Amino acid sequence: MATDTDRANPGGESGFGRVSRIRGRLFESLTLGASVFGIAALGVLLAYVFWDAFGLDAAEPVWYAVFAGLTVLPAVGFVWYARRAPAVGETSLELVSTLLAGVLGGFGAVAVLEVIAGDEVWFAYCCTVVAPLVGLYVYGRLDQTATWVGLGYLTTLVAGPVVGTLLLGPLRTVAALLGAPLVYLVTLVVPTAVAVRYVVGDRLALGNGNYAAAGLLAVAVLGVPVVDRVGVSRSVWLLFLVALAPTGVVVWKNAADGRWAGLLGPVGVVGGLAATVAVTDLVGIAGPEPWFDWQYVTTAPSQTAAEAGLYPAIIGSVFVIVLVAIITLVVAIGAAVYLEEYAPTGGVAGGFARLIRINISNLAGVPSVVYGLLGLGVFANLANLGVGTVITAAFTLSLLILPIVIISAREAIQSVPDSLRQASYGMGATRWQTVRRVVLPQALPGTLTGTILALGRAIGETAPLIMIGVATTAFSPPSGLFSRTSAMPMQVFVWSSYPSEAFQHGVVAAGVVTLLIVLLTMNSIAILVRNKFERETH
Amino acid sequence: MSERDSVDLSGDRGAQDVRESIYHAAFFACAAVSVLTTLGIVAALIAPTIQFLGEVSVSSFLLGTEFTPKIKPVSFGVLPLVFGTLLITAGAAAVALPVGLLTAIYLSEYASGRQRAVLKPMLEVLAGVPTVVYGYFALVYVTPLLDAIPGVELGTFNALSASLVMGIMIIPMVSSISEDSMSAVPDSLRNGAYGLGATKYDVATSVVVPASISGVAASYILALSRAIGETMIVVVAAGQNARFPGSVPDLLTSFFESTQTMTAAIVQLGLSDLAGGTTGYRALFAIGLTLFVMTLLLNLISDFVAQRYQEEY
Repeated sequence: MATDTDRANPGGESGFGRVSRIRGRLFESLTLGASVFGIAALGVLLAYVFWDAFGLDAAEPVWYAVFAGLTVLPAVGFVWYARRAPAVGETSLELVSTLLAGVLGGFGAVAVLEVIAGDEVWFAYCCTVVAPLVGLYVYGRLDQTATWVGLGYLTTLVAGPVVGTLLLGPLRTVAALLGAPLVYLVTLVVPTAVAVRYVVGDRLALGNGNYAAAGLLAVAVLGVPVVDRVGVSRSVWLLFLVALAPTGVVVWKNAADGRWAGLLGPVGVVGGLAATVAVTDLVGIAGPEPWFDWQYVTTAPSQTAAEAGLYPAIIGSVFVIVLVAIITLVVAIGAAVYLEEYAPTGGVAGGFARLIRINISNLAGVPSVVYGLLGLGVFANLANLGVGTVITAAFTLSLLILPIVIISAREAIQSVPDSLRQASYGMGATRWQTVRRVVLPQALPGTLTGTILALGRAIGETAPLIMIGVATTAFSPPSGLFSRTSAMPMQVFVWSSYPSEAFQHGVVAAGVVTLLIVLLTMNSIAILVRNKFERETH
Repeated sequence: MSERDSVDLSGDRGAQDVRESIYHAAFFACAAVSVLTTLGIVAALIAPTIQFLGEVSVSSFLLGTEFTPKIKPVSFGVLPLVFGTLLITAGAAAVALPVGLLTAIYLSEYASGRQRAVLKPMLEVLAGVPTVVYGYFALVYVTPLLDAIPGVELGTFNALSASLVMGIMIIPMVSSISEDSMSAVPDSLRNGAYGLGATKYDVATSVVVPASISGVAASYILALSRAIGETMIVVVAAGQNARFPGSVPDLLTSFFESTQTMTAAIVQLGLSDLAGGTTGYRALFAIGLTLFVMTLLLNLISDFVAQRYQEEY
């Protein structure tokens, strides 16, 4: 900057030049200060809340030294190293995000399948909806000329749930005979093993896919005695195994490429934490007394701060967000495809499409509490879906984030080059075939990134949930679409009005940290999807 | 027939046409959801509001200076809530507008590519933190911090910390849109000014900012609209005390006391009157409609400003 000022003032050290140079420097520092102000303020507040949530007050000074030496120092060293070797940083980002996604997915699977639906109901709908869909997908990949596959999807999506509901009784009996772990083994672990076989053997060509699949199944079965001893249920073990299978593939892929260094960082941090705990336990140094711990995420809320937990709220939030993800993805992609690929530019239909576009950008600016009023008036009361039920919450939050997701899906579709479309039409493809085979595969990563970021917004929304009467405190997780639920931000909101110090600086802080960890995970998954997409297009 | 079959290369057109129109209709239905949402919002807000205005006169709603839905005699004057909303919005604007503008200037004029690549995602994080978390920050950390300053006497709930924290939250709204419009200012304008002997400071303040003033103004209005509609920060940190200042000193001390905004009133009524059938329940929608109209107007003005006063290069 100084050089610019010098150039602009050839007079050099004249009084005028000096004054204007000082003024320029001051202004630059002022703008820099402003840029950092908000970030620094948020950083300080986050430091406070993490300090409270992990109860770092209670730790002895020696503990900090051990923690710094065994965890922080290696982590900082690794980050410093990764900055100079971008490939290493990329590998660790990939590993960390897939691992976090796996853990989050595991919790999601346990919440939706085990806690809410139950293995029997899952088995029924798996047989009538999920299995036919997967079968159709695989058949469509194998036989590219089968034009009826698309209609098959629609038919299955419409008829499958009906058939599943009709046959619920007999299928539940079958599932009860199999038992929950066997149901998950058949419906999830075996398909995952087949997928792993395909990915490892054919897609990435890492090695023999049969061995990989057999290895996964062997781990699933051989792990059973271990988890029995530890006290984890077999179903939970299998669900987490399925959710973490992609992480295993990522580790294998990077190891096969000789990128061991990138794996070192995440492993080092986890190992360092374990070492810190082990060393301090052994020597008898008082560590922190975290509010945010296993007990906190697995028990129900309580009036006693020490016993309070977030479990029902976490399950409720996960359930609602899974539904919101499905609804918004389908509707937003449909709307974006219509606006970008189908909508005419002239005539009545063109005018309507323009109206929709203007309308979407205005909807994005409507306060969230107004969406809550919409949910209360239309879904809860008019459509009679019930006050504070899972389905009301899911519809309301879906409408809330729909404009954002539609905008990002439209941008993703716009970025697909027109030459691809024209080539497709030139080959005699119809509009739908072009959309399905050319536009959507190209636009999907961008849409997914936007969707995940918007879901992050949905998971933290509180005001609309208050308006539709979501339970302020629930002691058991929701059992179905029409049961009343709680949600993480709701619980944080309610607890924040408790005057007691233990709640204000302990329980709520832990709730905030839970919420932020979930958000951070979702954002890092979004970044991963975007990076992967950018690498593939360049 | 056989001759025509041999010409038609795409096979079974009849079934295909049916399929194409099914998908066309399905996509159209998805797009129509957004219009239905708008209609739903308007209908859901207007129907109870009309009923409400049958019970409480329009003038006592719009001009009433008392909002006491729980204390007899009940009164539903919206003015105290509008005042609370404007007070908190003003506080947030005092933080976000200058800081956001300076941030945009730094990002577009001073920052290197690498600094931008680090700063921009971090600024976006400010807008991504759930608002209930910001409310908690304001209540538990910011209020005691401000209270410790000598000469500042804050209540547990107060407008000051809520509006400060809200200001931090809307910084990225101002900075990202302003920066977009500053980056759109062509370099030829900057070079022209340098050629006339202007300094970097002169270029930033006298060329770039005036040239991008429409975008800056649009971002300001949008940020205000966001602040008006913000709910959880004020519900958690600003309290539930609807007040309308009677005098100028009262106005000045308002920041240090508990205040209720329109959004906070909606939440308060929502927590107590959700069962329906009461005047309070319908007041909920009347206040919601007022809020909706205010934010919609601001958004439309922002769009209009951005387009009407945009400089063409």
